[in-house]
Amino acid sequence: MSTQISPDVAPVPGADGQAGNQPFLEFREVGQVFATQRGPFEALSQINLQVKQSEFVCVIGHSGCGKSTLLNMVSGFLKPSSGEVLLRGEPIGRPGPDRMVVFQNYSLLPWQTVEQNVDLAVRSARPELAVQARAAVVEHHLEMVGLIEARSKRPDEISGGMRQRVAIARAFAVSPQVLVLDEPFGALDAITKEELQEELLTIWREQKPTVLMITHDIDEALFLADRVVMMTNGPSATIGEIVQVPFERPRRFEAIQADPRYGELRNHALDFLYRRHAHDDA
Amino acid sequence: MATLLTVDNVTQSFSLPNGSNYIAIKDIDLEIKDGEFVSLIGHSGCGKSTLLNLMAGLAQASQGGILMNGRQITDPGPDRMVVFQNYSLLPWQSVRQNIALAVDAVMADASGEERSAVVEANIKLVGLSQAAEKRPAELSGGMKQRVAIARALAIRPKLLLLDEPFGALDALTRGNLQQQLMQICQEAGVTTVMVTHDVDEALLLSDRVVMLTNGPEAGIGQILKVPLARPRQRLEVMEHPDYYALRGELIGFLQQQRRLRQRRGEAKAPRLAGAGTGARPSNGAPVSAAPTTIRLGYLPGLDIAPLALALDRGFFREQNLNVVPIVFSRWQQLEEKLKAGELDGAITSATTPLALTLGLHGKSGWPAITPMTVTRNGNALCMARRYLDAGVRSGRELAALLNAQAAPLRLAIGQKGSMQELLLRHWLASVGIDPDRQVTWITLSPLAMQAALVNGEIDGFIAGRYRVAQAVEAGLAYGLATDLEIWSGHPEKVFTCHEGWADSHQDSLLAFCAALMRAGQLCDDGAQRETLVGLLSRPQWLGVSSAVALQRQIDLGTGEPAGNRLPLNRYHSDRAHSANPAEGCWILSQFSRWGWSPFPSNRVELLSRVYRSDLCASALERAGFPALPTDRKPFALADGLSFDQDDPLAYLKALPFTGQPVVASLPLPDSASADRSLPSP
Repeated sequence: MSTQISPDVAPVPGADGQAGNQPFLEFREVGQVFATQRGPFEALSQINLQVKQSEFVCVIGHSGCGKSTLLNMVSGFLKPSSGEVLLRGEPIGRPGPDRMVVFQNYSLLPWQTVEQNVDLAVRSARPELAVQARAAVVEHHLEMVGLIEARSKRPDEISGGMRQRVAIARAFAVSPQVLVLDEPFGALDAITKEELQEELLTIWREQKPTVLMITHDIDEALFLADRVVMMTNGPSATIGEIVQVPFERPRRFEAIQADPRYGELRNHALDFLYRRHAHDDA
Repeated sequence: MATLLTVDNVTQSFSLPNGSNYIAIKDIDLEIKDGEFVSLIGHSGCGKSTLLNLMAGLAQASQGGILMNGRQITDPGPDRMVVFQNYSLLPWQSVRQNIALAVDAVMADASGEERSAVVEANIKLVGLSQAAEKRPAELSGGMKQRVAIARALAIRPKLLLLDEPFGALDALTRGNLQQQLMQICQEAGVTTVMVTHDVDEALLLSDRVVMLTNGPEAGIGQILKVPLARPRQRLEVMEHPDYYALRGELIGFLQQQRRLRQRRGEAKAPRLAGAGTGARPSNGAPVSAAPTTIRLGYLPGLDIAPLALALDRGFFREQNLNVVPIVFSRWQQLEEKLKAGELDGAITSATTPLALTLGLHGKSGWPAITPMTVTRNGNALCMARRYLDAGVRSGRELAALLNAQAAPLRLAIGQKGSMQELLLRHWLASVGIDPDRQVTWITLSPLAMQAALVNGEIDGFIAGRYRVAQAVEAGLAYGLATDLEIWSGHPEKVFTCHEGWADSHQDSLLAFCAALMRAGQLCDDGAQRETLVGLLSRPQWLGVSSAVALQRQIDLGTGEPAGNRLPLNRYHSDRAHSANPAEGCWILSQFSRWGWSPFPSNRVELLSRVYRSDLCASALERAGFPALPTDRKPFALADGLSFDQDDPLAYLKALPFTGQPVVASLPLPDSASADRSLPSP
């Protein structure tokens, strides 16, 4: 059986048969150096990545591989020391409502209700919406993640899984072009995690924003992503390999698990992370 | 290997502040061998840690007990050490001091030198010699857990108990520790039980993985043997050709449990919503309210004796139930009325709940459940008299006759896919007759079988004792085999109803089952036999000829003076009422064997939805009968081949006339029925 693993480090535009499609999000020769007490520390080096519009990309690597640095440059919290990060061909300068970030720790306003948290984000990102239209957007996104009944609760009155649902509903309600997810499910138990992964795909299928997601979890990456970007270890971390995920959408967790390609892809990724780029975290 | 630990029928319940009881785990049986590594896996709330704590002696089981080397565990002891997720190290003491503390406490009689040697050896075992003087705060999470493991092993326990030892560590960083733990356990030769929710961790480390069902009342759902050779290397293990099949078993089980839990949550929601309104005439109605009507379908036969008796004795009325028995002459009609909602429930073949749910034979799936078995045994294969004249007195003789002739045997069954057909096919195959090529199957109303035999339309039929006795008494036929020679104690008829109806009428359902169980006990009582004959002789049940069938001594009509008799039904004794998913698993294996359905990879989910042993337990309790704990041991039919519900494919492969089994995840019907409509969001 032929594998779908593409060992190319820098994907060529149009290599997947969509020639002529200008990259939507592009990392071009990106490097990042931080000044530390012991002198300069090169976190990232030579990052080249092109992401198509509506593509779902997961970034995986050991801790300290610069994954978060990568995302911070997309969200505009950080500028690269060298090279460029381009959105629609324009360098990313500062944070904007066209790019939304969801963190592991939810970042909800604790004194506001579920509904108010979502509404506030929509109001600031899409001021053009009339009151009724905005209410409809909020309602729809709460419904997508099953939070209608909990709409009047405050974050401390709901579970971690529900808080993360609020964060996801809030991010999508803003209709961003790029969604940046920084290990959003890392703190959740297995069942809640799987439920949220499914909900994330459902809501993503509706709007199809471009997604860049950081995860530690290979199974999560293979379930969600079109491509999995595997990072080498830092310092001077870079993209070691990109794995194309061949499973058709919409995806079902069990069907994917039963696919003979699944074990092959998973073992390939594990081999990368634990043999070729092993990292003694213990 | 000798058994080190025996978990014997353990149930653990906790009292809640509101005065009720929470049953965390129920009827757990497990044996762990000396030197074995066993993992307990399941979703949160499945009672994994509860079971581990019982093994540690940190708590006492509410029922049952745990034996180690034959002695009951009553309190914690140095022969069992527990390692928790949160390390539990003394923060002001160094690595060495933390370990020495445990060694000093246990080896109080040893010299200082001996104790020190043990401490150093164990620090070395977990590779912490460089860090021996450090305090816990100076160590990484992985190192802290190694200290905890070294401390546990230093006192040479017979049993090491690990409660999610790596749960607090990053997913990508567990690998090295797992590898180290495996080597340590192997070198120390210690028997280990580990609680985890990580399937790769469980596969890498374990000899067996015990999968627990959701709580409350969690039990053992499945046990997976991990046949990977040792010593194991983490990455190499994953490249083993069987690895992803094994992993798929665990993931599949957890996924099925997850769906069951979601379903349970959804089923509860409407009931809670209605709780305050009082508008629940069918559920938990007070005695003064109008009785609940249950329209019950059945076909005449001795199987309905408990129903007749319960009605006659007023057992249903006592429960404020108005049970309306509705008689049918064909199983197919009964099924159609049940599916159309014109019946609330029915006494059906034991295969019917699964056949309906799967939508066997080209029908659409209909979510059926069974909370109890109504009767066991009572069937015989009845052949036309001319076969006896031709000298056919055994299955082998029948096979020899068939092999010498071209014409297939014409056998009648009451219902396609019924338990009777499965038993007969199994028996035919076991004597060397191919049930698909050497037999023509004819589905007939049981009431028409005798006439068909007289007219020469069929050569024989399988039916209950009542019908066979009639044919034998009429001199037309003889019994060639009884179900005691196929599967003694098999489930024959069960109560079947829609899953949604069971959810919305749970109280009535339990009251109904309890009444039927009480009547079943009377049916098994020889002293009641005359009364029963009188009752069943009434025209609305079996009529006067039933007396013939109920007399104890009816031989098979072969002319032999003694010995073989027509089998009696079992209505109550010897666990008769149990709704046993293992038996359901056997039925599924036969559906697959005869090509009627793939073998479901999601069988655990299917069986726990259909076989409602929880309702069975509640009904037994209501009837005042002792509980029937689930028995997970493999069982064998009369052919002696052992059926293990944890490895049904091995069973299938060993059966004659069986092709390569097809395994697939089968779609299960949604029980969202009209009577459980949720307000749409």
